[in-house]
Amino acid sequence: MKFYVCIKQVPDVNAPLHIKDGELIQDADRNILNAYDASAIEAALVLREKHGGEIEVVLIGTDKAKETIRKALAMGADSGIFIQADTDVQFDSFSYAKILSTFFADKEYNFILCGKQSQDTDAGLTGSMLAGLLDLPYVTNAVGLEMTGNSLIVKRQGDAGQELIELPSPGLVTCSNDMNDPRIPNLKGIMQSKRKPVETIPVNDLPTDSTAIKTKILGYEVKPAREAGKKFDGEPDEIARQVARLLDEAENVV
Amino acid sequence: MSTLLTYISVNNGKIKRSSLEVLSRCNELAQQHNLISAAIIIDKNASEIAEKLKAYGPSVIYIIENPVFNNHLNTPLLKALSLAIEKIKPKIVAFASTESTKDILGALAANRGAASLADVSEFELSGTGVKAKRPVMASKIISSVEANDSLVLLTVRSGSYDVSTQQADSNIEEIPFSFNDDELKITLKEIISASGDKIDLSEAETVIAAGRGVKDEEGRKLVEELASVLKAGIGASRALTEAGVYDPSLQIGQTGKVVSPQLYIGIGISGAIQHVSGMANSKVIVAINKDPDAPIFDIADYGIVGDLYKVLPPFIEELKKVKSEK
Ligand SMILES: Cc1cc2nc3c(=O)[nH]c(=O)nc-3n(C[C@H](O)[C@H](O)[C@H](O)COP(=O)(O)OP(=O)(O)OC[C@H]3O[C@@H](n4cnc5c(N)ncnc54)[C@H](O)[C@@H]3O)c2cc1C
Ligand SMILES: Nc1ncnc2c1ncn2[C@@H]1O[C@H](COP(=O)(O)O)[C@@H](O)[C@H]1O
Repeated sequence: MKFYVCIKQVPDVNAPLHIKDGELIQDADRNILNAYDASAIEAALVLREKHGGEIEVVLIGTDKAKETIRKALAMGADSGIFIQADTDVQFDSFSYAKILSTFFADKEYNFILCGKQSQDTDAGLTGSMLAGLLDLPYVTNAVGLEMTGNSLIVKRQGDAGQELIELPSPGLVTCSNDMNDPRIPNLKGIMQSKRKPVETIPVNDLPTDSTAIKTKILGYEVKPAREAGKKFDGEPDEIARQVARLLDEAENVV
Repeated sequence: MSTLLTYISVNNGKIKRSSLEVLSRCNELAQQHNLISAAIIIDKNASEIAEKLKAYGPSVIYIIENPVFNNHLNTPLLKALSLAIEKIKPKIVAFASTESTKDILGALAANRGAASLADVSEFELSGTGVKAKRPVMASKIISSVEANDSLVLLTVRSGSYDVSTQQADSNIEEIPFSFNDDELKITLKEIISASGDKIDLSEAETVIAAGRGVKDEEGRKLVEELASVLKAGIGASRALTEAGVYDPSLQIGQTGKVVSPQLYIGIGISGAIQHVSGMANSKVIVAINKDPDAPIFDIADYGIVGDLYKVLPPFIEELKKVKSEK
C-alpha cells in the first residue's frame, strides 16, 4: 500500500494575534503541523503497522514550512516531498489543489489522505477539490479507517449519524481530528527523521497556471469580543435560583 | 437575467432552517440586483418538499427526484448539481453549511472550474462576483474575501441570516436525472444512527452543552433533566465526544457544529477557543463552572461559579417553577 498524506503548516491559533494595516500579524511566529493532518498521518501509521506499506508526506510551503515535514517524518512517515513556494504568493485552497493535482498526475498510489480542513482558515476545500481534479472517489470528514483487501472502510461523520463507506483504491480521504490522538515524536523518531529523504520541487517546475487562484483576501478584522456579563459567586442554591429567574424575567429565553 | 440558486437541504423530509436562511438572503439580493432567486431540491421526495418551499418566495423551484438521494452520497449529488448548473447557468449556488454540503463543495468547484467560498457568515454581490466575510483563526478573526468568477459556490454558516416568509407562485421545474449503481464509485455499507439527533443542534432554540466537568451518570442525568425542562438540544465539548460519552455528531465547535441558539448553557466546559468558535453567536450565554478563572466566563452573560452537581438541582427546580407559572 502506498499512502500519500498532504500536510500543511499553519499558524498556531493560540498564539497572540493582531491586525496591522489590514494584515494579520502573529506576535510570536508560532507555526505548527495542521492538527487535522496530524490525525491523517496517525491514521496512515496505524494502517501501515497493521498491513504494511509506505507513507510519503507532501507539503507546499515556503522554506520555513520544511520543519513541518520533519515533524511528520519524526512521527514515522517514510519520506517527504517539499513543494517549494515563493514567499509572496497568496495561494487559496483551489491553487493548492491544482498544484497537488499536477504533482500527483504521474504518481501511483493507493490512497491520498488530507486533513478535513486547515486549522487557521477552516476552508475544508482542498481535499475534495483534489479528488475532483484527479477524478478519484473520495470520502470527507473521516473519523475511522479500516482496511479490507484493497479498499478502505471509512467511517464518516455525517450530519446526524455516521456513515460507513467502502472506498476502493485509488481514492482520497479527508480526516477529522476526532479519528485519533496523534503520537508525539520520540527521540528515536526525531533522530531517524534526519536521515529520511526529502525531495524538493520548486513550485514553478510544476506546470501550474496563474488562473488557479480564485479567491482573494481583501483584509482582516478582529471579531468584536463578547463582553463578560455578570458573575455569580456564592451559595449554590441561591445563585442558581437567581440566574434561573433572570433568564425568564430579564432575558425571556426560557 | 441571471439566477441566484439556493440548494435546499432536507433531513428526513424536513427542510433545514439553515437553508431557508440562505434562500431568504438570496431573495433579498435578487430583489436588490434585479436577478432571479431560484431554489433546487435534490431528494427522493423533492416534489412534495417543493410545495412547502413556496412559502419562502423563490421564483423557480427546480427539483431532481430519485431514490438514490435517500441517503447522502457524494457521487450522485455531484452529478445532479453539475447537471443543474449546466441547465440553469446560475451566477451563484449558495448552500447552508452542513456536513453533506461541505462534502461536495470542493469537488463541485473543481469539476465546474468555479470559485468557492466555504462557511461564510455574510455575503453580497460585487460587480463581477461575490464578496463575503468568513471567520478564521478559530473565529477570533473575520476575513473579507472576494471571488470573481462566472460561477461562485458558497456555503453559509447557520444563524447568519433571518428566515423571511413570502408566499410565491413559484414555478416548479423537474430536471430529468438518471443514475446507475455502477456510477457510484463508493459504497454506503451502513448508517450508524446517532442517539442524539432528535433535535437538530444547529437549529435548536436552546442548547445545553456538557463538558469534561460532567463526570458521571449522575451528571449526565442532570444535563438531560435540564434539557427536557427547557426542551433543549444537548451538545458536548470535544472532551466528552472523544471519550465516547456523547455521540460525535453532538460536538460543538471548530471540528463539530456551529450553533446559534437564543440560549446556550455550558456546563463544566472551560471555554477553549475551538469550542467557543462554534457557539459564540448564541444570544444569551450561561456558564456553570467551578473555576472562577475559566475562560468561558469572559464571554458568558451569566456566569455561575460553582460545582455543577450542587448548582444544577436548584437551577432545574427553579426553572420548572418558572415554566409552571406560565
Ligand atoms: C484543531 C482542534 C479542533 C478542536 N475542535 C473542537 C470542537 O469542535 N469542540 C470542542 O469542544 N473542542 C474542540 N477542540 C478541543 C478544545 O481545544 C478543548 O480541548 C475542549 O473544548 C475542552 O473540553 P472541556 O471544556 O469540556 O474540557 P476542559 O478544558 O478539561 O474543561 C473542563 C472544565 O470543567 C470544569 N469543571 C470540572 N468539574 C466541575 C464541576 N464539578 N462543576 C463545575 N465545573 C467543573 C473545570 O473547571 C474546567 O473548566 C479542538 C482542538 C483542536 C486542536
Ligand atoms: N500547502 C499545502 N500543502 C499540502 N497540503 C495542503 C496544503 N494546503 C492544504 N493542504 C491539504 O488540504 C487540507 C486543508 O484544506 P483547506 O481547509 O481547504 O485549506 C489540509 O489538511 C491538507 O491535507
